[in-house]
Amino acid sequence: MAIESAKPSEEEKSWSMGVADATLGALGRRTLSSFGVFWAILHMSWEILIRFFPPRIDGAELMRNLYNVGVRSFSIIVVTALFVGAIMVIQAGIYVEQYGATGLLGWGAGFATVRELSPIMIALMFNGRVGAKNTAELGTMKVTEQVDALRALAIDPISYLIMPRFVAMVSMMTLLVVLGDATALLGGAATSQFLLGVDHLVFFRSFVELIHVSDLMLGVYKATTFGVAMGIISCHYGYAVSGGAVGVGRAVNDSVVSSAIAIFVLNYLVTYIIT
Amino acid sequence: MSEAELIVRCEGVSKRFRRAWVLEDVELRLERGSMLGLIGPGGCGKSLLVKMICGLVRPDRGRIWVNGQELGGLGERQMQALRAQIGMVFQNYALFDFLDVGENIALPLRVEGLLPPKEIEQRVAEILDLVALPGIERKMPHELSGGMKKRVSFARAVVRRPPLVIYDDPTAGLDPVTSAKIYRLLARMKEEGTSSITISHDLDGIRPLCERWLLLDGGRKLFEGDLAALEACSLPRVREFWHGD
Repeated sequence: MAIESAKPSEEEKSWSMGVADATLGALGRRTLSSFGVFWAILHMSWEILIRFFPPRIDGAELMRNLYNVGVRSFSIIVVTALFVGAIMVIQAGIYVEQYGATGLLGWGAGFATVRELSPIMIALMFNGRVGAKNTAELGTMKVTEQVDALRALAIDPISYLIMPRFVAMVSMMTLLVVLGDATALLGGAATSQFLLGVDHLVFFRSFVELIHVSDLMLGVYKATTFGVAMGIISCHYGYAVSGGAVGVGRAVNDSVVSSAIAIFVLNYLVTYIIT
Repeated sequence: MSEAELIVRCEGVSKRFRRAWVLEDVELRLERGSMLGLIGPGGCGKSLLVKMICGLVRPDRGRIWVNGQELGGLGERQMQALRAQIGMVFQNYALFDFLDVGENIALPLRVEGLLPPKEIEQRVAEILDLVALPGIERKMPHELSGGMKKRVSFARAVVRRPPLVIYDDPTAGLDPVTSAKIYRLLARMKEEGTSSITISHDLDGIRPLCERWLLLDGGRKLFEGDLAALEACSLPRVREFWHGD
């Protein structure tokens, strides 16, 4: 009797089947949708790539985007990099004071900064400022028929809107990381001088003697790779918007999250391949 | 009417979204230099039809010819060349909000790259004079009223002097004075020999301008003909729409 009551009734069986169906259905839809997004991002990459041969970019739009992306990001990147350099010196300072290894401070702080922290932190800031703005701008243009208006005027929206944004994001991300490295060093040197009492010349000497060009270049490669990923992802989500203001909001959210994930995955891959 | 006299011809044009047909077997013929009034209740597929004529949306069935060229066989590059022969005024202006008025109007000429900058500037000033908005080149779209935006959108659509212009509800939401200004512009374009398709709900406003009429209802053609035939049409749905019976 007890065994019989433990068996599920027909109603319970059908309920469990329903739950399983719904779960599998939702999982299936999500997987298909992820493949769809991945395919669309590949398609956007292809559309961008073919417009480089020969280059089809609107010059005036490119200049406007270089200014918006590069010059307007300058201040937040400088502030971010200054603090990154300073924090790394504080972290390294614990061991420097413990072991008296002041001659290694520039190397200790600089190594982690130029190879990892500077590209990652700057990319995340850049993603929040430029990537999100890019998606929102393109998305708004899509829902207000400005993209259709461009096509109606016989202007290719990818050449006119996407290419300048993509080129500006890749080139400026790379330049900003170079600038960020230099600023982080200044932040680190100032912190070592005023907080730890280590002369800034000792800090710089340690950096110059022990950091190789390959360490600096690794950060630069990462910056370019992150710029490419953010450029493609933010343009894809903006260009694929549908559903009005709600759609634009959703696209910005998806773009920022996807780009952040791409930054971490690419950071792992570039580090693994080059190191 | 010979084929050479037609600037737009649609045959059996249909479009489906998901499983529902939103436009079904629509026929349209527009003679060169004439104006067609495209009318019908909201959501009947008027804007979709003109977007298909402009090559912005591809039909699922049927064929469209513009200026003697069939759109179906054209790739995106060839389609772009064809679109240069069409001007389109969008219902909600669709002005580029990151460009000022002068840049908005000059954009198609600048990208085309056929005219020197000085001449483009001059052309922009001329067209702004035509739409009675002289000297507003440096204003941004958000600084303009609805009527001004509509006229700037009109200026941008006709700056290349295309043989065919499509007006999607050119007077929607405008006061009678501004509407009258827009109708004067439409009449002037017609006098200059431009062919046009005008979507409008202001039947009194476009009545003196249009030679032919196409009435859509539920994605299907309900009537096509001239004004006299439209007024005499006994179909209840046509009478209901036209006479308000």
